[in-house]
Amino acid sequence: MDDKAFADLAEQYGRRLYAVAFRLLGNRADAEDAVQRTLLKSFVARESYSPAWAVSTWLYRILSNVCIDELRRRRPTTDVADAGVSTPSSAAAISAKVDVTRALAVVPREARVLLALHYVDGLSHRELATIRGISVNTVKSQLARGKAILRARLERGPHGSARRPAR
Amino acid sequence: MDQLDDLLAEFFNPAVAPAGLAARMARGRRDVTPAADVERFHIEANDRGVERLTYGPGGDVATRGGRRHIARARAELREYLAGRRTFFSVPVDLGGIGDFQARVLAEAARIPYGTTASYAELARTIGHPRASRAVGNALGANPVPLVIPCHRVIRGDGTWGHYAFGGTMKTALLRLEQDTPALVGCSTTRIVCRRGCAHEQRMREDRRVVFASVADAKSVGYRPCRVCQR
Repeated sequence: MDDKAFADLAEQYGRRLYAVAFRLLGNRADAEDAVQRTLLKSFVARESYSPAWAVSTWLYRILSNVCIDELRRRRPTTDVADAGVSTPSSAAAISAKVDVTRALAVVPREARVLLALHYVDGLSHRELATIRGISVNTVKSQLARGKAILRARLERGPHGSARRPAR
Repeated sequence: MDQLDDLLAEFFNPAVAPAGLAARMARGRRDVTPAADVERFHIEANDRGVERLTYGPGGDVATRGGRRHIARARAELREYLAGRRTFFSVPVDLGGIGDFQARVLAEAARIPYGTTASYAELARTIGHPRASRAVGNALGANPVPLVIPCHRVIRGDGTWGHYAFGGTMKTALLRLEQDTPALVGCSTTRIVCRRGCAHEQRMREDRRVVFASVADAKSVGYRPCRVCQR
């Protein structure tokens, strides 16, 4: 493998890929592993790359495939307290991130992946449809469903009792 | 944009990437090495199916009617070891094993590709929660490793435990399964197959979409393949 090409891909897309993987998988080690596997797979399958696709779209397709398969292997769990709290600077920010992480854990996997891709890179509905191999209308309904679940969960509060706004 | 959009935009901010990520990616690249040489597997089969699978010196043993099972088993092994198959469909003949071992092996065969279970979990599943050691012995005497995936059973503390083909092979097989998706959908036909299905093997690379479950695939408009998920 060409080391420079690999390093260039990692440099150019690594951060965005990592952001999606980190929010989907919930920890740094798995996220880095997913990004690395994505870059490797993209390199191995480079001949199947179609110039009709943006490179980022192609990489996000591979990344979402890798992350979804990783999520499949995980046992069902509701404990996500340690996920996604590595960078916020204040107690309020930590609390908000933990709330979103917990709320995201109850969003169906497909909707969760679409939300992550949509908000990390601002991908359009059409790009999301290409990445996940689904129709644009399905993308819209999945995003709406995911956001409705999130909103309901965040308004209900962490323990399902006290009502609080979705910030 | 409402408040939820703002919150999600903040939550998914790409600024969370740790410093030096790209350099670490390049440094820590894993080389992909095959789990085992398929030619070193030896298969015994009779008219009803594969009876035994061994690794190392030796040769195939088959009745006249068993040769087709050997050919099919070897082809499936080759695909499995190359990460192009996640299940075996070759018939297996477990005649002669006891009832307890048959139940253990039947449970082991149900452990999903790419996942693991502990000896204790398997013992609980078959209704003998204190028989972990007996479960280990039953798996150790598995006549058809890989085809019945006893390598997916590990100790409760996460270490491997004994494996008929050695710890190195067990590590390689579990790593192989980590890198291979189990359910693949085709973005044009909207059909989801198990990896290894004849239809899945004909899918173009740029049309492959991985799913975590058939239910997930159905939720976004895919349907299960009628060949591999009957």
